[in-house]
Amino acid sequence: MKLKRIVQTVAAIVQNSYIPAIFAGGIYQGFLKRACTPILNCWGCPLAWYSCPMGALQHFIGLRLIPFYIAGLFGAVGMTIGRMTCGWICPFGFFQDLLYKVKSFKMRLPGLFSYFKYVVLVGVAGIVVYVTAEPWFCKLCPDGSLIAGIPLVLFDKTGDLRALVGWHYYMKISVLIAVVVFSISIKRFFCRTFCPIGAIYSIFNRFSLFKLEVNDEKCIKCESCQTKCPMHVPIYRSASNIDCIRCLDCVKVCPTNAIKHKIR
Amino acid sequence: MPSNTRYGKAALISAFVVGGGQIYSRRIWSGIVLAGLFYGSIALMVIIWTGINQAFWGLLAAWILFWVYNILDAYKGFRYQKPPCEKACPAGIAPWIYINLICNNSEEKYPFIPFFGTLEHICPAPCESECTRRGIDAAVAIKYLKRCVSMEEPGRAANARREKIAIIGAGPCGLSAAHYLGRKGYNVTVYEREEKPGGVLAILIPRFRLPDAMLDAEIKATLGPNVELKCDVEIGKDLKFEELLENYDAVLVAIGAWRATALGIPGEKIALSGFDVLRKIKNGERFDLGTVGVIGGGNTAIDAARSLRRQGNDVKIFYRRRIMDMPAEKEDRIEAQEEGIEIVPLTTPVEMKKGITVMTRTECTEGRKGGVEIVRDSEFEVKLDAVVITAGQWPESNFMKDHVTTDRHGRILTKNGRTSQPKIYAAGDAVLGSATVAHAVGQGLSVAEELDRRLRKVPGFWHRMVRREFLPGVRQISMHTDKKIEIPHRAVEERVKDFNEVELKAPNEELKKEACRCLTCPIKYNP
Repeated sequence: MKLKRIVQTVAAIVQNSYIPAIFAGGIYQGFLKRACTPILNCWGCPLAWYSCPMGALQHFIGLRLIPFYIAGLFGAVGMTIGRMTCGWICPFGFFQDLLYKVKSFKMRLPGLFSYFKYVVLVGVAGIVVYVTAEPWFCKLCPDGSLIAGIPLVLFDKTGDLRALVGWHYYMKISVLIAVVVFSISIKRFFCRTFCPIGAIYSIFNRFSLFKLEVNDEKCIKCESCQTKCPMHVPIYRSASNIDCIRCLDCVKVCPTNAIKHKIR
Repeated sequence: MPSNTRYGKAALISAFVVGGGQIYSRRIWSGIVLAGLFYGSIALMVIIWTGINQAFWGLLAAWILFWVYNILDAYKGFRYQKPPCEKACPAGIAPWIYINLICNNSEEKYPFIPFFGTLEHICPAPCESECTRRGIDAAVAIKYLKRCVSMEEPGRAANARREKIAIIGAGPCGLSAAHYLGRKGYNVTVYEREEKPGGVLAILIPRFRLPDAMLDAEIKATLGPNVELKCDVEIGKDLKFEELLENYDAVLVAIGAWRATALGIPGEKIALSGFDVLRKIKNGERFDLGTVGVIGGGNTAIDAARSLRRQGNDVKIFYRRRIMDMPAEKEDRIEAQEEGIEIVPLTTPVEMKKGITVMTRTECTEGRKGGVEIVRDSEFEVKLDAVVITAGQWPESNFMKDHVTTDRHGRILTKNGRTSQPKIYAAGDAVLGSATVAHAVGQGLSVAEELDRRLRKVPGFWHRMVRREFLPGVRQISMHTDKKIEIPHRAVEERVKDFNEVELKAPNEELKKEACRCLTCPIKYNP
């Protein structure tokens, strides 16, 4: 198995391994929940140790406070490694990677869709939340329905939550199904099009300490890096593309070793 | 992996059981995952069902999306990322597939493509210049490997259709289109101005590049059922273009580029045209001219020079740009130089007199796209007994200028094969100017597909969605680290005496070894 897959599996387990929840029900509400993971991982998941930075950000925006903590976290992680967390420790990204492995008819996403995640960040997770004081991105987030919504309702012991299932829950599930279908045919569809955390980190990709470098003299423009890339980034043309998640697959696949990673 | 014929059934099964078609076409894991996700989500909703509400319709829409995707997937099959060689091919051939078939001694055959054998002999091989292996040592000899590909026989024709289609020109483009449309069941009539079909292949390409037997077999294979060939009919002279428009449902113009351009210099009339020379040599005429100068740097120039050289003439080629800018195939150019043909670059004629041609030096630094500047006071005289001019060809589209829009060179302006008038389609050199046979075949096939789609009134997006792709059982091959094979050629002294083929066939083991140099990019680079 590749190192990346091992890290992704271990990270998914480390972030979601509060075993008592399986027997006792409910979610973990202890000390560690005060810390945010640097990626999208719903804090409503019964097994989750940490909280989701997007959920926390919307919480602060809803309260109309300045989210210093979240801004500091995003800034610190983004400035050092850019979008690397998406490629190595994001469980929902891992889920999409696995879905794309299904041998089926594949499609390409037009490049313009990459900018739609900024609309989601500013619109759904920003302005709408500020006006309505409700976390509207969380209400639609497919990761939330996958790891929190489904297990909480399915293994509900008291029956309180199942009584709450209504149109909102149906909507969440339909969003999840649509995202799953598109992720089977398009590489990391959610990460490229919707993820607001990816949108924030992608701004830092150009300035981060850790970065990729392409040696133009060695590059033979075979595009094998782009075909291998889980985000379908033309890395040989733009080494600090907003969609680059620094998974370093391109470094390994390059037939002439033209791509190198380095610390600025 | 499945062959093409099973896809329709797979789609039907998938329509009833999600994932069933995938399992039927032996993509077992895909089928299981799709079925699991689909029926899993239904089971989940059944378990926690709380009645219909507004968002139920959204849920239904998501399920329908899943269902449609699943049928499409069963119909189209797993789509791979096109590797560089396939992307580069103007004729739409997938070299990596046949290379893989050779390497694995596979019994599967490559699907029929018109003029496949011809392309093996005369193609500038853009695939080889894109080959990933070039970055390591040298490209795989993709073009040469076509020799040991076993190809399918062309399949049976579909049910006959009422529509009649006329194709003007029986060149590589026209015949490819005729083949495609004939198999689809249309009544196709091909009009050819010359006595025999083949266009450039039959008239211009010399025998040492393309053997006659090969060409005849290729043309015979393309003229299948439903295709009628009418030779010796010139549209605009023997038959009016308007008559065609009245009698047929669609007209495909594949007239090629046959109008030679003039240089516009004094005394040009005494020069011979490259077309005439090649045509007459192919008909068996002899030219004993002495010292001949060939003006131009395209394939026609090289062909004319080599043909004249084979008849015992002393040949020099004059080209106005650098040798590296010549549009002719590099391989042919090197063979020509081996045969004793001198290439004089950066030279252009300014005046022609009997026995003497005045030349001038030129300057060119930007390659083929940039202009050429004449160096002042650099005229010099060259003693030449005859001059052959081969300087660019454009289409003769005058007979239909009332019906379609053309640019100033006479090239027909098209969009996806459609011209300004809905009934008229155009393809090949008539659209591109003088291009290669590979371009002609590719355009012929794609425009025929477009024509078929328009006659059946299928919306474009739907046509693109349901188009199927060929995928045989491609396996990873153990890569060879050897150098590229040296293609055997006949000895120079021997080959300048006759018009027999120059390239020889290498032993089969050598060819297999060469095929195994392929990096199998699509397998390696797809996740």
